[in-house]
Amino acid sequence: MEALFAPVFAVMDRLLPFSFLEPAFMKRAVLAMLFVAPAAAGVGVPLVHYRMAFFSDAIGHSAFTGVALGVLLGIDPLLTMIAFGLFIAWAITVVRGKTELSPDTVIGVFFSAVIALGIAVISYRKGLTRNLQAYLYGDLLAVTEAELAWMGAIFLGVGAYLYLAFNRLMLLGIHEGFARSKGVPVRFLEISFALVVALVVTTAIRAVGILLVTALLVVPAAAARNVARGTAAAFWLAVAISLISGISGIAASYYLDTATGATVVLCASGLFALTAILRGSVRRGAA
Amino acid sequence: MSGAVPHHTLEIRNLSVQAGGTEILSGVDADIRCGEITALVGPNGAGKTTLLLAILGLVPYTGEIRFCHAEEHGRGTPRIGYVPQRLDFDRNTPMTVLDFFAITSQGYPVILGHSKSSRAAAQESLSRGGAAHLVSRQLGKLSGGELQRVLLALALRDDPDILLLDEPVSGVDIAGEELFCEFLAQIHRESRFGLLLVSHDLSVVTSHADRVICLNRSVVCQGATTETLTPENLARMYGSGARLFSHGHAEGHGHLHAGERNAGAGGKES
Repeated sequence: MEALFAPVFAVMDRLLPFSFLEPAFMKRAVLAMLFVAPAAAGVGVPLVHYRMAFFSDAIGHSAFTGVALGVLLGIDPLLTMIAFGLFIAWAITVVRGKTELSPDTVIGVFFSAVIALGIAVISYRKGLTRNLQAYLYGDLLAVTEAELAWMGAIFLGVGAYLYLAFNRLMLLGIHEGFARSKGVPVRFLEISFALVVALVVTTAIRAVGILLVTALLVVPAAAARNVARGTAAAFWLAVAISLISGISGIAASYYLDTATGATVVLCASGLFALTAILRGSVRRGAA
Repeated sequence: MSGAVPHHTLEIRNLSVQAGGTEILSGVDADIRCGEITALVGPNGAGKTTLLLAILGLVPYTGEIRFCHAEEHGRGTPRIGYVPQRLDFDRNTPMTVLDFFAITSQGYPVILGHSKSSRAAAQESLSRGGAAHLVSRQLGKLSGGELQRVLLALALRDDPDILLLDEPVSGVDIAGEELFCEFLAQIHRESRFGLLLVSHDLSVVTSHADRVICLNRSVVCQGATTETLTPENLARMYGSGARLFSHGHAEGHGHLHAGERNAGAGGKES
């Protein structure tokens, strides 16, 4: 694994001669962010279009229970977190398709049930709370090279998925019946997208934590919507915003000695505010 | 408008649709002929949208829907265009009209740009609909009438045999509505597809449709427009309290509206 990333780190040393990048753990953190942030932002564009922000939040919080179950059962919590996230994503999507209840209501029910289960597990096993800290707030600086490889795989997988499904996801968000009439396989697309979102969310938790993971998906896409008119512009702007806030957030947290995940999300929120102001001034100019 | 060319026909035979234990449509027999405008009228909850969805194959049904070629006596799968009643998306969705055309045609994602062919097809069908100027406008910023023209242009791009329009003039003002209907009739004269038009507006129906299907869970009556839209039939369909009134904003023809009454079980349009 070290052989895999050593050349990458050597290139980073050459291209980015900043003092905050000298420690190896900082290089790993930045590389992790370069994988995770664009994947999250890229998935975030159709996610926001499809009004599924609450869904990704529910998956993020299910990770809390996934980790607790892993510790309880003596399995690597990273694995149980991902598996549990995928299971909840699948369950929500299937139930949502079979009931007349609004999607938000279905997600709300799952959300509460999952959190309740997590709390029950934690209260059953005293002393578990400490293990959860790293997942609640994220621990980007402790990312291992095996995790880096996983994040790289997720990055490539998300790219491939979006290449195949992006147009259909956008069409589905416009009108379901119309999308069906154009041959979009709606059920398959909904379930596959839910699983991809779950994979991205549970992977990104390592970087920014359960509490903030939705921000990594939603904030760049929301900021891009403030200023972009076309779909391509919105997508690439969201990716750029995620990268800028990811890298500047890591750098700022290094010098300010603040939590990395929180600092990254603060940077993204700052860029959101900037685009909102920009949108306001463009509108005034047009009026 | 029925020409000398033999008709291709979409034949609907004994079509029934059930949802949640209730019968939404039962025993529907109807023909939709290419080259004609067929209007589908009926009260709210009559199953008009459901019939469109069945034709599109989007709801399970019993019975038969077949497409018959008049000359060959063969059957094929028709290309069916669909213009939904309304779209449900956020008004600030970052999507231009060109993006909308591209996501329904090109093989690679629009984030990598628009293909030459999808751009050309969008330009051409929008120009046909007198909407070429809308190509780079944002979808959510279009007026109701502009959006209808874009949706119609998109449906026509794929050269449909049958075009289904669900309440094409809802959300459009009256001036826009007449423009849209005249434009529709003109397009229809040029290319001879079968047009099935769901409408609440009987003036639109009487001035543009060749044939009418009156639906209230089953077919109440159908036939040539003037022979079918009789007060008796309207009363049978909408209930005896149906109001027919005219208002004189347009010279020449009175504007007839069927009273918006929920007949039968009522409830929301299914």
